[in-house]
Amino acid sequence: MDVLDEKTLSELAARVRAYPYPREMVVDVLRAIQERRGWVSDEGVELAAQLLRISPLEVEEVATFYDKIYRRPVGRKVIHLCDSVCCFSRGGEDILKHLEKRLQITLGQTTPDGMFTLLPTCCLGACGQAPAMSVNLRLYGHLTPEAVDRILEEERREVSP
Amino acid sequence: MPTLTIDGRTVSVPEGKTILEAAEAAGVRVPHFCWHRALGALGACRLCAVTVLDGPQKGVRMACLTPVQEGMRVSTLDESSWNMRRSVIEWLMANHPHDCPVCDEGGECQLQDMTVAGNHAVRRQRGRKRTFHNQDLGPFIEHEMNRCIACYRCVRTYRDYCGGDDFGVLGSRDRVYFGRFRPGRLLSPFSGNLVDVCPTGTLTDKTSRFRARPWDLEEASSVCPHCALGCAVIPGGRYRELLRVRADPRPQPNDGFLCDRGRFGYGYANRADRPRQARLEGRPGTLAEAVAALRERVEGIARQHGPEAVLLLGSARATVEANALLSLWARRLGAADPVFDLAARRDGAARIFARAAPALRATLADVRQADLTLVCGADPLAEGPLLALALRQAARRGAAVRVIDPRPVPLVCEAERLPLAPTLVPEALRFLAGGNGAGLSQEVLQPLAETKRLFDAARRPVVIGSAEGLGPDGVRALLALVAGASRPDRDAKAALLLPGPSSFACARLASAVPNAQDLRRRLGGGKIRAVVALEVDPLAEAPPAVTGVIEKAELFAALDYLPTATVGRANLFLPSAGPYEQDGAFCDFAGRLRAFARVLRPGTPILHTGKGNHPPRTFSPDVPGGDAAPAWEILAEILGISGGLSGARAEIEKAFSFLQGLAGLRADARDERVLPGGEPPAPPGAPAGPEPAGLRLLLSDPFVGWEPLSAHAAVLEVLRPEDAVYLNPAELARLGLAPGARARVEAQELSEIRVARAADLPPGLAWVVRRRGSALSRLPAGEVFACRVAREEGA
Repeated sequence: MDVLDEKTLSELAARVRAYPYPREMVVDVLRAIQERRGWVSDEGVELAAQLLRISPLEVEEVATFYDKIYRRPVGRKVIHLCDSVCCFSRGGEDILKHLEKRLQITLGQTTPDGMFTLLPTCCLGACGQAPAMSVNLRLYGHLTPEAVDRILEEERREVSP
Repeated sequence: MPTLTIDGRTVSVPEGKTILEAAEAAGVRVPHFCWHRALGALGACRLCAVTVLDGPQKGVRMACLTPVQEGMRVSTLDESSWNMRRSVIEWLMANHPHDCPVCDEGGECQLQDMTVAGNHAVRRQRGRKRTFHNQDLGPFIEHEMNRCIACYRCVRTYRDYCGGDDFGVLGSRDRVYFGRFRPGRLLSPFSGNLVDVCPTGTLTDKTSRFRARPWDLEEASSVCPHCALGCAVIPGGRYRELLRVRADPRPQPNDGFLCDRGRFGYGYANRADRPRQARLEGRPGTLAEAVAALRERVEGIARQHGPEAVLLLGSARATVEANALLSLWARRLGAADPVFDLAARRDGAARIFARAAPALRATLADVRQADLTLVCGADPLAEGPLLALALRQAARRGAAVRVIDPRPVPLVCEAERLPLAPTLVPEALRFLAGGNGAGLSQEVLQPLAETKRLFDAARRPVVIGSAEGLGPDGVRALLALVAGASRPDRDAKAALLLPGPSSFACARLASAVPNAQDLRRRLGGGKIRAVVALEVDPLAEAPPAVTGVIEKAELFAALDYLPTATVGRANLFLPSAGPYEQDGAFCDFAGRLRAFARVLRPGTPILHTGKGNHPPRTFSPDVPGGDAAPAWEILAEILGISGGLSGARAEIEKAFSFLQGLAGLRADARDERVLPGGEPPAPPGAPAGPEPAGLRLLLSDPFVGWEPLSAHAAVLEVLRPEDAVYLNPAELARLGLAPGARARVEAQELSEIRVARAADLPPGLAWVVRRRGSALSRLPAGEVFACRVAREEGA
């Protein structure tokens, strides 16, 4: 099975057996599937449904609700730039313009080298550090164009030293 | 009971009700999209804004979410809430297509009504609209997501009320999408309700798409003819074609919901091969000629060979009036009562139940309110689908649902099942009533004892059976159980699923003589020379021993509106009107007479006469194909009863006292009369023979494929189950059958090839789901027969 390796699959199956309401594990299962290929395919949704004994639709409802579960291929790193009110009022839109210029892509796109995908998000819980963004699970606050350039450089270096 | 004023009107409503419900009670209409009587409040659409002038929280409030308080003063006309509602409508229209003229919902669209009511004539929003891709949701429902206003009524109906799991909400923010994981047919047998609950053109009836505007439809209050539950429907037609069926939104009896068989099974009325002209010995004739011939020939045979030469067959799908007049004709001829049901066991069971005390008979509302439900020897989804939906509502309120049945009965709610051989189900009922459980094994008695504890503790238990599943013995046990359990503080009731919309009345019209059993003796005597089939298809529904005699009769007359095998073979045919083409009454499974009004006059649809174009420009006072008359009218003519329907009903009331009140029923008011109880028929003289040894065959009915009307509706073909024979896995292995293998099934000298499938059945049982036209399906459902199942070699 290409969606999950045998070991993870059997670990998840064991947890499903221990849960009184396996559907509560849906995010965990989707995260595990995403871990392997970077995103969740239709087959991934169907496997999760089979594992949790719910319909694929019920899995898809959760998968499409959360913006950190990706239902389409994404770059190696996903940038989520907050577009909520605090970040907006602290210059979030300028950061977006800067990111788009630097990466030569717009929201929803992936750089041609497959490194970055740029997505908006409605809140990162970092209003005190607005404007903020996350790159994969790493949070960056108090963004300035200069800080963004540095972050992109570091994130890129981390993948290809 | 708090008292409040809404727009100056004072109203008192029970504690816990909301402002919106109080306003409805006061006759003040509060606009809303997401609130629905049966689905409740959600607060998603923000349209029901009202102003609370005096109360704990003053200002603009959502009427559907705000509980009433003593002394509250509410205004719907206040400027602040009026402006809010007006704005909400404008926001909802921001992304909505401005194309009502090409939308199928136009004319009955709540969003259209609200836009007009909100005085919006000009679009101010200049930005691009959000758009979606639609999904193919199968042959019944059309999907146009751009029209969605995210009221969530569809998911609440499909998932919460109906128990489906393949339609839901996807995405988030302003991209919320209502659909399936992949395009494909909606799998719930109640999917059609999406059409009724959707307030916009997002989900519409695909079967009647773009065929008529609502204001062009002829509509009437009617009763669904597809089973015995008697759901309130409003069918609509145009140009002599039945186009759609929607649920009556009133709460009783079906809570405003329908099953897909009742909603989409109307195609039988419009078939191109529907017999519309009278036929006498193969020669086409007028209806008047045929009526005269029917009377003369039947009376002639009765005179010449004695009344016992006449066999009258009534039917569960004919109106109460037609069946009653047929009984009256039998009386006048001095002949035996009509046979209303050719299946002796089912007939016997129905006749016992039809004489039970009215207080013991559960309605759909009783099932919805039950705190414990037992389903014994019944398959509600197949035999009365809305009953399965009612069971789900009981379960959602916390009622336990227990199933005692040999088959893995599918339901739309959680249920615990006790698999039991068919012959043991009555014994299980007697055990629940306090019997000693003789004949039941220890592993059955243990779960049964727990069910008994639940039953004894329940305050509103309902026990559900079916006439064919329980048989006479089982129905006696069923009634004894609920009669014994009813006390002043406790309301135990029973429901019995019957084959058709008039079954209850037919069972009451049938005399104490078990006429279906008596039929075998009469057929054997070789005396029968005249057979009259009233809207029934004995050639498809009776075993060869019966059909052989019928086919050879000197006179074989049929009244019908379906192209059945019987109509094809009859030597005298009279076209009768379909259920939506006449005024009449049905009698539901709880014994309530319910009237329905004519939707359309019978006649060949213009779709057929014009072959899709303008109809022929020939002028005549007659409607093409319009010869058909209601069966009661044909029989009244034969009996010399004048005065139309009221004349016929008056005669019927005189002849059958238990049908008192029939004449006063009004269809539009949804009147009902409860048939009184009566003296139960004596137990049959001869007890049932010993159970056949070896493999036994059990037949039962599917959701679609057996019920005669929907079986003639092409659009429902996709729902017809596979022709399979089900056995438990051990039995399959013993017979050397792999799942999917072709197997020959033989019983009672009938045989056919079916696909072998594994199912969770008791050992020794082969289970076959009937299909109209299949050989084995001529055996009566519910009875068990010795049978042989063997692998069929070759292609």
